[in-house]
Amino acid sequence: MIDHLLHGGPRYWAWLAFLCVVIAIGFGCYYYQLDYGLGVTGMSRDVSWGFYIAQFTFLVGVAASGVMVVLPYYLHHYKMFGKITIMGEFLAVAAVTMCVLFVVVDLGQPSRVLNVLLYPTLNSVMFYDIIVLSGYLLINIVVGWTMLTAESNELPPPAWVKPLIYISIPWAISIHTVTAFLYSGLPGRDYWLTAIMAPRFLASAFASGPALLILIALILRRVTSFDPGLPALRKIGTIVTYAMIVNIFFVLMEFFTGFYSQAPGHMASLQYLFFGLDGYGRLVPFMWLAAVLGIGAVIALLFQRVKQDERLFALALGAIFVATWIDKGLGLIVGGFTPNPLGDITEYAPTLPELGVTLGVYGIGFLVLTVLYKITVGVREAQLSPETAQQAATAEQASPEQLVAEAAH
Amino acid sequence: MEEKNASRRRFILGGGAAGLLAGLAGATATGTSAAPPAKPADAPELPKVVERESQLLRMQRELQRALAKPVNERRWAMVIDLRKCVGCSACTVACKSENRLPPGVVYRPVLEEELGKYPNVTRRFTPRPCMQCDNPPCVPVCPVGATFKRADGIVEVNYEQCIGCRYCITACPYGARTFDFGELYTANTPAVQSYELAPSFEYGKQWPRQNDTSPIGNVRKCQFCLHRIAEGMLPACVSTCIGNATYFGDLGDTTALVSSLVGQSNQMRLKEDLGTSPRVFYLL
Repeated sequence: MIDHLLHGGPRYWAWLAFLCVVIAIGFGCYYYQLDYGLGVTGMSRDVSWGFYIAQFTFLVGVAASGVMVVLPYYLHHYKMFGKITIMGEFLAVAAVTMCVLFVVVDLGQPSRVLNVLLYPTLNSVMFYDIIVLSGYLLINIVVGWTMLTAESNELPPPAWVKPLIYISIPWAISIHTVTAFLYSGLPGRDYWLTAIMAPRFLASAFASGPALLILIALILRRVTSFDPGLPALRKIGTIVTYAMIVNIFFVLMEFFTGFYSQAPGHMASLQYLFFGLDGYGRLVPFMWLAAVLGIGAVIALLFQRVKQDERLFALALGAIFVATWIDKGLGLIVGGFTPNPLGDITEYAPTLPELGVTLGVYGIGFLVLTVLYKITVGVREAQLSPETAQQAATAEQASPEQLVAEAAH
Repeated sequence: MEEKNASRRRFILGGGAAGLLAGLAGATATGTSAAPPAKPADAPELPKVVERESQLLRMQRELQRALAKPVNERRWAMVIDLRKCVGCSACTVACKSENRLPPGVVYRPVLEEELGKYPNVTRRFTPRPCMQCDNPPCVPVCPVGATFKRADGIVEVNYEQCIGCRYCITACPYGARTFDFGELYTANTPAVQSYELAPSFEYGKQWPRQNDTSPIGNVRKCQFCLHRIAEGMLPACVSTCIGNATYFGDLGDTTALVSSLVGQSNQMRLKEDLGTSPRVFYLL
């Protein structure tokens, strides 16, 4: 199956070359960071977690979202999703890979990363997060690969894989719940100290992840012979819409609790993020952009016409993806640190090396994704008649521009 | 080198104590001073000197008494009298130099607040060391067990085990933990000064400032100058405080100065509602 990686058009190779350049830039920046220390990032005494941990948090959500196609297919025998479940599982693999890398690049002493296994600490939520994330990674690699092998050999999948798939469903919920617990169990951080954190994480995950999955499927549909079917994608679009509505509802609940109670601690971070506090408001335009994009896209997706029009559909999903990214990959972490527990404000902005490392990690993630999807698409094309396969081979070229736009998100 | 340095410190402290004793001219509780000079017959009767032991000497004596006890019977605590703090930040500076702290790492800042409105304005200064909480939120979150509460109550960081994930910084409601980003004050000057690379003596070990070695890339915090306590000395902030506003001692000793201060009604602790149970008390 791996031999499918070696056959591709010029655009496939160009895309791989582009990813390698991005990864090389990332490595260069990381080398600089290793040499100089984390001082090259925009993190400070007050904002001690920044872009890296924010991306980690966001991508755990993307990883968890695979369950939104797996669950309907396996539990409700929703056949329409048959072609896209492996895509969901492989997206989870790429996302968790990036999560792990983002945690490693964030460490002050990365050479000691194995201390996590050498000195397991049962009272740390981070320990459990590592356990559930690595377990989820393993489950998705095994399930995805086994299903694909079975498909390639035109055989039914082995019986032992079924229980693993059933386990993967609650497991997906667990990874994002435990990740939310990283934040919601800390007494001094009022913005995070909310019981709704885990539900909110799940809602935004089930909006952002499937939105990304649909966007990738739409691109694959255009540049390869692989087609999960537009009706299936529209159905996932419905899931995205509902999840986003719930997500917005949860955010509004946070606003109510903070501003109706007038409890300063519960208002401060929201004030900083959405209105600016004490003259600081670097994230205000981003947060409102997220609000406009998120609410606008949800309203748009309620119209059947938008869903029928492929371009508008993609645009609305892109808007939801960007909105959830700003909310979680930017606002959530920085907002939790601003103001600090003593009420002072230090603003955070990522530095260029920090962005370089981030891009590099995303590059590795997209490389993993490209490799896995290339094999999947290759397996499926091989099952077509020789003529169609021939046509497919010429058409099978990922457009770098489209995927770059994707990566930029 | 460590050995030598410690004995040098002991010498200096000993000298300092002797000087203080001499200064008190016979008013000390030790009663070892020379007899007063003969008084002229026509000299008026002076008011009697109130005999009072130096606070520092008393606390040091109590500290040494506590050291004689097993470690799990010591309950180190700090008391800070906000009425006496003038906001000079000498404690912050003493701490920075004692622990050889790099830019961005401060164990004991003095927080300043402005209260009231003109013409009735005042400023309040709140020195903020690590609270050494009895229920520390920073300890359970550590994924590698690198930070822990010692038997004597001090929250320690094992620099050799810490991976630098900074979760404990996130968990601390007092902002008492800081990350060592590996910076130097003289980094962008013609020459990095050697005093910046000199080792700190935290936890009784030597931590020279070399590339990427601990404590660079670790989380650092106030540990009540454990390395000084081990040598029978008060924490640097306590012995430096110009207004005698900071007290240190063993709460396990009911006769200790800190024990009597903690028993006063004007005592409070920061963010007690979070259930952290701090070992740093403030007098209002």
